Amino acid sequence: MSLKPKQVNFDNVWQELKETVKQVLTMANVPTSVWQDRFSDVYSLCVAFPEPLADKLYFETKQFLENHVQNMLATQVAPPDRNSSERKNILMNYYKAWSEYSKGIEYLNNLYSYLNQQHIKKQKISDADIMYGNASPDNQELMEIGELGLDIWRIYMIQSLGDELVAHTLEGIKEDRMNGIDSKYVEVIHGVIQSFVQVQGYKKKGNLKLYQDLFETPMLNESGKHYRNEAAKLLQRCSVSEYMEEVIKILSDENRRAQRFLDSSSVTKLRKECEERFINDHLDFLYSECKEMVSQEKRKDLRNMYIILKPIPDRLKDLLKQTFLDHIKNEGIETISTLKGENIHIQFVENMLKVHQKYQKLIADVFENDSLFLSALDKACASVVNKRINERQPCRSAELVAKYCDSLLRKSKTTESEIDTKLTNSITIFKYIEDKDVFQKFYSRMLAKRLIHEQSQSMEAEEAMINRLKQACGYEFTNKLHRMFTDISLSADLNNKFNSHLKDENIEIGINLSIKVLQAGAWPLGPTQAAIPFAVPQEFEKSIRMFENFYHTSFSGRKLAWLHHLCHGELKMSYLKKSYIVTMQTYQMAMLLLFESCDSLTCKEIQETLQLNDETFQKHMQSLIESKLLTSSTENFERDTEIRLNFDYSNKRTKFKISAALQRETPQEVEHTMNAVDEDRKLYLQAAIVRIMKSRKILRHNALIQEILSQSKVSFTPSISMIKKCIESLIDKQYIERTPNSGDEYSYVA
Amino acid sequence: MKVKIKSWMGVATWRWIANDENCGICRMSFENCCPECSLPGDDCPLVWGACSHCFHMHCIVKWLNSQPNSQQCPMCRQNWKFNIQ
Ligand SMILES: [Zn+2]
Ligand SMILES: [Zn+2]
Ligand SMILES: [Zn+2]
Repeated sequence: MSLKPKQVNFDNVWQELKETVKQVLTMANVPTSVWQDRFSDVYSLCVAFPEPLADKLYFETKQFLENHVQNMLATQVAPPDRNSSERKNILMNYYKAWSEYSKGIEYLNNLYSYLNQQHIKKQKISDADIMYGNASPDNQELMEIGELGLDIWRIYMIQSLGDELVAHTLEGIKEDRMNGIDSKYVEVIHGVIQSFVQVQGYKKKGNLKLYQDLFETPMLNESGKHYRNEAAKLLQRCSVSEYMEEVIKILSDENRRAQRFLDSSSVTKLRKECEERFINDHLDFLYSECKEMVSQEKRKDLRNMYIILKPIPDRLKDLLKQTFLDHIKNEGIETISTLKGENIHIQFVENMLKVHQKYQKLIADVFENDSLFLSALDKACASVVNKRINERQPCRSAELVAKYCDSLLRKSKTTESEIDTKLTNSITIFKYIEDKDVFQKFYSRMLAKRLIHEQSQSMEAEEAMINRLKQACGYEFTNKLHRMFTDISLSADLNNKFNSHLKDENIEIGINLSIKVLQAGAWPLGPTQAAIPFAVPQEFEKSIRMFENFYHTSFSGRKLAWLHHLCHGELKMSYLKKSYIVTMQTYQMAMLLLFESCDSLTCKEIQETLQLNDETFQKHMQSLIESKLLTSSTENFERDTEIRLNFDYSNKRTKFKISAALQRETPQEVEHTMNAVDEDRKLYLQAAIVRIMKSRKILRHNALIQEILSQSKVSFTPSISMIKKCIESLIDKQYIERTPNSGDEYSYVA
Repeated sequence: MKVKIKSWMGVATWRWIANDENCGICRMSFENCCPECSLPGDDCPLVWGACSHCFHMHCIVKWLNSQPNSQQCPMCRQNWKFNIQ
């Protein structure tokens, strides 16, 4: 083809071109050679000499398309004289016509590509102009032929038939809801509906407006009406449980329906409408059986309830969650308020864990691990764990959990892996304890006993547990526990060094010594027990002195204080028919050693030689009498009561232990622990107040309280009256003062 | 011998032997650690000067660092020297 502009006779060329246009639009067969000729005709008209004929071509084509569409309307789609059965076919006719026309117009757009590219693009308003509203896209501007064709379809076909088409599509959807319609017909309806979108598809902006105004709005209205009726019918005959089943089914049917019929932009809108009419409009009804469903743990109903209420989050938050929370709380309180017997600590932790695990699983199965319900579980468990069963006594949970850990960490026949699992689980309950400092006090006292008396099942298990606590509460919380642990392994090293020192020096002390040296501040040993007077028997005084000397050469600037109430040893008894090896406490050893040179002594003599106070003497003498190694002339120990070695003693076992009274946690010890916690809290609060005031200089009372509460939260919740007392005592000590102008404001005294 | 000690498991605590009750710098008792620490003992050791005054190590180091011109004991103003015991 020649590219050179030349003179052209418009009418002749257009005649031929028009024929091809018609064939293209009706999807008739166009041979390739003809197509190519017409393609160059378009070109030659656009570049015609002396004057380009592009505008003329555009207007002729436009006119042709207008005629064509009007003609389709009048003959194929909606003939003016059609009867009622033909009227029913309108969707089918329209769909056929649209399918043909929309494809044809696409081809035509290609045939006219030179016109589109060179002539029309130049005149087109830039996209940016449209975006910024500098020009209205509805101006009488020229459109590409494809777009022009679609717009003509909109004007002549849709504007005149739209309402009728919509009425029929809605009728079809309704029919599908009632009885279902076959997929061929669905395709037709979907095609018709899509034509409202496609016909505006070329628009950059507002391309869904026609679809929405013409079809979507009435469709949503109709659907809403339908849903409302259906809901009313269901309410007549259904229980809540059945209603939910039905609604879930309807929701999924409607969702599938939306995808089959509608433009994808309408799917969520229809779903929303459906939820509104079936769920939101009937919340009271849905909640009416909520309590029973939760209390009877009807999993299926709860699952359905969750599915139904999930898209309506505010409502979920309220009732269902609260009901669920109360339910867990009740069950928890019930499970811990009936505990009795020796093993309360085990029952407490394991029963609470059962409740926790049960509902954790339920939340996973039924509520998709929704964080809302997980936090309800946490709240419920926390309120159970921190509840005071007896109003007049402090909450015992911290003590019980610590005791539970103690029972697992002590030597027992339980397997390592079982211990490990149980300890890991105990952390779940531990985390709910508000007074973590109380737990820490109990835990460290029990740990101290295990370590000193070598009752731990394994050091690995001990360390793993300390690490778990550290992970949950941070380094500050466990550093004393770590220190205790370290002291034990340092002591082991020290004993080795001491023994090789003895060997090097060729010293034979005759006693197998094993010493634990503890760092004073880290161990919860209690203030009262440190200074019990005791005259150490010479039999081991020498060994002790040797160890002390060795210690002082290794660590200068330190002094040791012996805690004899915590020491014990083995005595070999050789005065009986068999010889026995007996483990006992130091005080008891000292008492028996006095009988080396005699067979009987008075209480007075024993007590004065050893310089023991009454309480210690009574307690340990009593256990020796009970063991039958000694006999007493009177039942009570008077000053002149005679104590004798029992030469008739015999025991099947040659190695045994005299049970010590001190190992069980006594009520005084519990009280002492609670008092120690109180003291620590006061110190902690005072330090916190000084720290806060030092950085803030001036602070109002309430702001100070808030700040303190937020800082202490990790380990305990102080009472306001305790905080106030601490503030007062700091004012007395002149760390802070009330500002002169306001009664409830404090300032830091530098 | 009628009775003889075979073995003994002893327990003792250790404390610093300080000439004073309190650290002259932070005023805390030597039973406690310095204000920067949370646990007395190995982690917050005591040190002695040639003048025989005793402080938390953390306290005296901080003090010496704040006195670039004169390395004096804050109690007796003698030149500070660590006493290696
Ligand atoms: Zn200090
Ligand atoms: Zn320190
Ligand atoms: Zn000095």
